[in-house]
Amino acid sequence: MRKKVMALVLTSAMAVSLAACGGGGQTAETTAAPAADDGQGEAAAPAGDGSGLVYWSMWEATEPQGQAIQAAVDQFTADTGISVDLQFKGRTGIREGLQPALDAGTNIDLFDEDIDRVNTTWGQYLMDLEELAKAVDYESTANAGLMAACREVGGGTLKSIPYQPNVFAFFYNQAIFDEAGITAVPATWAELDAACAKIKEAGYTPITCDDAYITCMFGYHMSRLVGEPKTEEIVKGGQWDDPSVAATAEAYADFASKGYFSETIASNVWPAGQNQELAMGTAAMYLNGSWLPNEVKDMAGDDFVWGCFSYPALEGGTDGVDAANYGAQVLAINKDSQKAEDAFKLICYITQGEFDQMLSELSIGIPADSNNTEWPALISCVKPVMDSMNTRYPWAAGAEANADMTPIIKENFLKLCGGSIDAQGFVDALKKAGN
Amino acid sequence: MKRNKGMIILFLTPAVLMFSVIFLYPIIRTIVMSFFKIDGITDPVAKWQFTGLSNFVRLANTSLFRISMWNLFRIWLIGGIIVMSLALLFAVIITSGIRFKSFFRAVIYLPNIVSAVALATMWLQYVYSPKFGLLKTVFTNLGLTSLAKIQWLDNDHKFAALLLAYCFGMVGYHMLIFASGIERISSDYFEAATLDGANKLNQFRYITLPLLKGVFKTNITMWSVTSVGFFVWSQLFSTVTADTQTITPMVYMYMQIFGAGNSITERNSGLGAAIGVLLSVCVVAVFWLCNHLLRDDDLEF
Repeated sequence: MRKKVMALVLTSAMAVSLAACGGGGQTAETTAAPAADDGQGEAAAPAGDGSGLVYWSMWEATEPQGQAIQAAVDQFTADTGISVDLQFKGRTGIREGLQPALDAGTNIDLFDEDIDRVNTTWGQYLMDLEELAKAVDYESTANAGLMAACREVGGGTLKSIPYQPNVFAFFYNQAIFDEAGITAVPATWAELDAACAKIKEAGYTPITCDDAYITCMFGYHMSRLVGEPKTEEIVKGGQWDDPSVAATAEAYADFASKGYFSETIASNVWPAGQNQELAMGTAAMYLNGSWLPNEVKDMAGDDFVWGCFSYPALEGGTDGVDAANYGAQVLAINKDSQKAEDAFKLICYITQGEFDQMLSELSIGIPADSNNTEWPALISCVKPVMDSMNTRYPWAAGAEANADMTPIIKENFLKLCGGSIDAQGFVDALKKAGN
Repeated sequence: MKRNKGMIILFLTPAVLMFSVIFLYPIIRTIVMSFFKIDGITDPVAKWQFTGLSNFVRLANTSLFRISMWNLFRIWLIGGIIVMSLALLFAVIITSGIRFKSFFRAVIYLPNIVSAVALATMWLQYVYSPKFGLLKTVFTNLGLTSLAKIQWLDNDHKFAALLLAYCFGMVGYHMLIFASGIERISSDYFEAATLDGANKLNQFRYITLPLLKGVFKTNITMWSVTSVGFFVWSQLFSTVTADTQTITPMVYMYMQIFGAGNSITERNSGLGAAIGVLLSVCVVAVFWLCNHLLRDDDLEF
């Protein structure tokens, strides 16, 4: 009997400890190259001992962003003699590990991640950067819209510095648009409808998507109709009887019935749609972030010409084409850092001038420094869209604000686009799920 | 034998201390956390808000969590039957004296040493592809057009697709455990049975199976523990956002502790802890059932 009790205890211990450790990701760590001589014969201060800077990054060392940041850090160390312990944690590593590390008092001076996560989830750990930015006149070369976005999510004050901006919009294959005879990008739903009809007529799939991004289409349509705050209210409050939900479903059911979506849209697991359809030239449009051309460039080939337009406006809708999810990764300084000035200096190295340009070129991304006017050719089409933005949506335009509903919206919106349920079926499914 | 209590305490203390710190403390903390609302997993206790049983009530009332539990049950039961059956079959074949035994054993075990990411990519982007997938090609060549048209990764088929891919990788591991159990049985029993005129099937039914009860118990417990921890394959089959056909309680727990997808969603580590408690209760229940249904105390060999 005693053996059995012991066995039960051990089994439960195993299960609980397994549960408690669930989802642990692997962390890739690298450390900055040893500090270079600053030319004055003084050895640079070693990092991690309290005299250098400690920087946790969301990237991997092998990614283009990681390479550009490493180059900026190396130059910073060479110029200033300040060593940097640069640790590439990867997306999962920083998401899971940063807050516990900060709570445990780990010496971390600066870190980076998405604008919303840094300012919202980790907001309590951030230093106010207003004075530091003012001291070096940082904003004279910064993107005003993104700085405003940082202040907005930072509660009215500057707590993070944006780099690698991005915008979420429709990306399209210019060759297909030309072949179909579409001369202007669609600005309204009716124009999108007409463009899709021409593309279908030309023998291509007008729109494709993957499961990972399908809720964005729902969110954008809802937000165009009633605005993002209301969309979030509906999603969080389960107000599925709101007429905007049915209107959105009907608009997509209409497109599905006209055959505007990929035949495999209901079964496209990322990145099947973007790789096998858009990049291969069989589908024309995909609602995605400005990182898309970089992700598929090896498959799309050098002759692929990209186009970009903001999600179309809807008749009688609240928001126009000047609203989208635009943002950036941001750098922030730990409020307990003793080396805030040095950390801010490093931020300037990464987000301005030579290394901002390098980051843009290596990652085929948008430069953050307004003096870096040369955008990579692949994404030059994004510039007019980015410049036209006035209203900022959060991710998926609020469609994923309720974690308990996201998979249910995703399942049923995929079915709606795939044509296996109608608009009423979509609304009924959401209502049935409750939450 | 004279017992020296001092020595017993001296030798047991390190083990008891380690057990207390590494196992007992996290268990107790997890159970306590399940009664609180906690934003960040490392928030100080002063920031915890006592909510009684509300985490458990909320889980019971959340359809997505119920879906995740249903998925876990299906993975455990259907996957368990498939994996245990195939593992036992392969183990019996491998230990029956066939030629190239080591080769076949290595081939069946091979998926275990390949990264789950690589395996999942193969299944998702190649085997199940509705454009050029292996299944589509095979069924088309066989003239089975209705089967060739199936979109294996749509909502209706995604769970089956996930389960098949997962089981493919798990058979080898459990086969090895079964095979070691079979090899432990003395060949004397089989020789005696052969002399008495028992055929292979009867030998399997009346000798191998009864003597494998303990191994079955081990395999089912191991399967249950790994099923409860089902996470990576679910993540790989639904990147970025969770999916109703692939979500498991562990994925739901992750969403509650670290946030869901790319959005900034409400976090509650207390809810995550409550899920951990529920899952451990499930494993203990399975273990208790196994102990009662598969009694092997009466057998010594």
